[in-house]
Amino acid sequence: MTDLVDLLISGLVYGSIITVGAIGLTLMSDILDFFNFAYGDFFTLGAFTTLAFLSVVPGQGTFAGLSFGWSMVLAVLLAALVTVMVMLAFDYLFFRRLRNMGVSSLFMSIASLGVSFIIRSIIFMIWGPKVRYYSSEVQLSKEFLGISIRPDNLFILLSSLLLVAAVYYFLKSSRIGKALRSVSDNKALAQASGMQPSLMIMCTWIICGILAGVGGTLFGIQVQLNPNMGWNFLIPMFVAVIMGGIGSFWGALIGGMTIGITEELVTGLIQNLVTAMELQINVSAYKPAVAFIFVIVILLLRPYGLFGKPQFNLKR
Amino acid sequence: MVNYLSSYLVMACIYAMLALSLNMQWGYTGLMNFGIGAFYMVGAYTSAILCGLPSPEHLGGFHLPILMGMAGAACMAGLIAYLVAIPALKLRGGPFAIALLAIQETFFLIIKNESWLTNGVWGIRDIPQPFFSLVNPRFYVFIYLIIAIVALTLTYLSMERAVNSPWGRVLRAIREDETLTDMSGKDCFNFRRQSFVFSSMVAGLAGAVYVHYTGFVSPQTFSPLMSTFLVWLMVMVGGTGNNRGVILGAFLVWGVWVGSDFITNLVPASVATQIGFIRMFLVGIILTVTVLTRPQGLLTQKLSNIQLIEEEKHA
Repeated sequence: MTDLVDLLISGLVYGSIITVGAIGLTLMSDILDFFNFAYGDFFTLGAFTTLAFLSVVPGQGTFAGLSFGWSMVLAVLLAALVTVMVMLAFDYLFFRRLRNMGVSSLFMSIASLGVSFIIRSIIFMIWGPKVRYYSSEVQLSKEFLGISIRPDNLFILLSSLLLVAAVYYFLKSSRIGKALRSVSDNKALAQASGMQPSLMIMCTWIICGILAGVGGTLFGIQVQLNPNMGWNFLIPMFVAVIMGGIGSFWGALIGGMTIGITEELVTGLIQNLVTAMELQINVSAYKPAVAFIFVIVILLLRPYGLFGKPQFNLKR
Repeated sequence: MVNYLSSYLVMACIYAMLALSLNMQWGYTGLMNFGIGAFYMVGAYTSAILCGLPSPEHLGGFHLPILMGMAGAACMAGLIAYLVAIPALKLRGGPFAIALLAIQETFFLIIKNESWLTNGVWGIRDIPQPFFSLVNPRFYVFIYLIIAIVALTLTYLSMERAVNSPWGRVLRAIREDETLTDMSGKDCFNFRRQSFVFSSMVAGLAGAVYVHYTGFVSPQTFSPLMSTFLVWLMVMVGGTGNNRGVILGAFLVWGVWVGSDFITNLVPASVATQIGFIRMFLVGIILTVTVLTRPQGLLTQKLSNIQLIEEEKHA
């Protein structure tokens, strides 16, 4: 039973990180109208710039049993800023020109692969292929309300929920958020009502950059940092987006949480079963397969995703 | 030096086969396959297991003739493509690409982890090489170059034949407008599946040609960058939807890839260890520059859509 609770908690934590990424990705896929395969590498960039800032910002020590202190908060903010800047630079130099050329969205997706390779190789060149950690100390679990959880994980869960709520509030109440949602609803009508497409696209990049910077750092806190982390994280994020329906906020939230919990539960439970049968199989190596089966099943049942709009034909 | 050039040409031929296979999927049918490497890998391992010597560490050692290994590789890749197609081809565009990316990841993990089947990360060695005993091993690469060129030529001819047939015209029609093709009474799912399975068989064959050249196979060769995205780069550079173009693209891109080896000799050792990352950087730069400056690739499609309609009228 405790096993199940542990799996559920790690699934929740993993799912909350996927959600942070998936909300940015779903917004981007919707408003920019293509699947950005470089998004995962912006995640990695966020995580590594936090690592870089962590070594320069003042403030040592930790608080509330976490493995990091206030310096981390400052570093994350700076890293999110850097990620946004890099994203806007790539948009200005590359994606903007492609948009002006009027290429198809599939072509844009392939082009984004090039950006992905450039960012990843630069991260490799600067930091090397070694696995890194924000903090070298091992953290023990603590009891909260009868459930044992690592304080770091609790922090990840709470801060990602806070971030998601902030994005929701922004989209719901602010002027720009409303404009973004109207573009998402009907592009032509929004443009006719005076929404500037270039401004909307810039806002999308900024929101996505913040989410990628913070999300990447949270992912780095939970596991470890390596230059391939974002690329490998791309599959669960995309699965959450597709499952929830492209452009849907709630879809990304539910999709991300479901993917996280299912991956942990399914691999964990099958691993227990396999170990009980005394077989030597490492089930957790097959996590991407779980996500894949998931997206296939969902799309066969609901071709536009859980909350998708039918005009988002899957033919993009 | 001549040896070096020949081994470059052999690998370029193998990559050209892969590029032709991807071109049929992306260039002609519009399937955004980000998992082409999976079928290349399946082909390579199938032929290695069928033709290899018996070994206690992994399955295999059937020691069959090499031609049977190649046929087996193509059939196995085709079979897996057929099974993958049943769910995956229900998706289109971006979701299809992500599904195939996940499939590639899954196959890569299976090959790496299931050592009873593939000997895991240690790989399979002592795979027989055709006509190896005939010549001095130093000149073997020339023999193999002939084999690789024959394989590439056969692939090219059958691809050209396929895409210029009525069947190929349906594929192009699906790429342009699937709904319209559906309404013209063509079973689009079936045509897409045929294209997917046929070109995956070609990728499997390329894998077999590869293992009988090196005589050794391990998962490292099939990293997504090496086996999938390099091939994508070749297609994009060479010219989407032009078979001659993608062959040109394969030779050019592989030339750059191999050429970066020379950089290693010129720069200090501290930089030379980063050669893998520099190559990844080059892949990114070439891809971004290509899509910005020459989105059609070096050689463009032979027929524009309007010409195609004209041709149909006269036919």
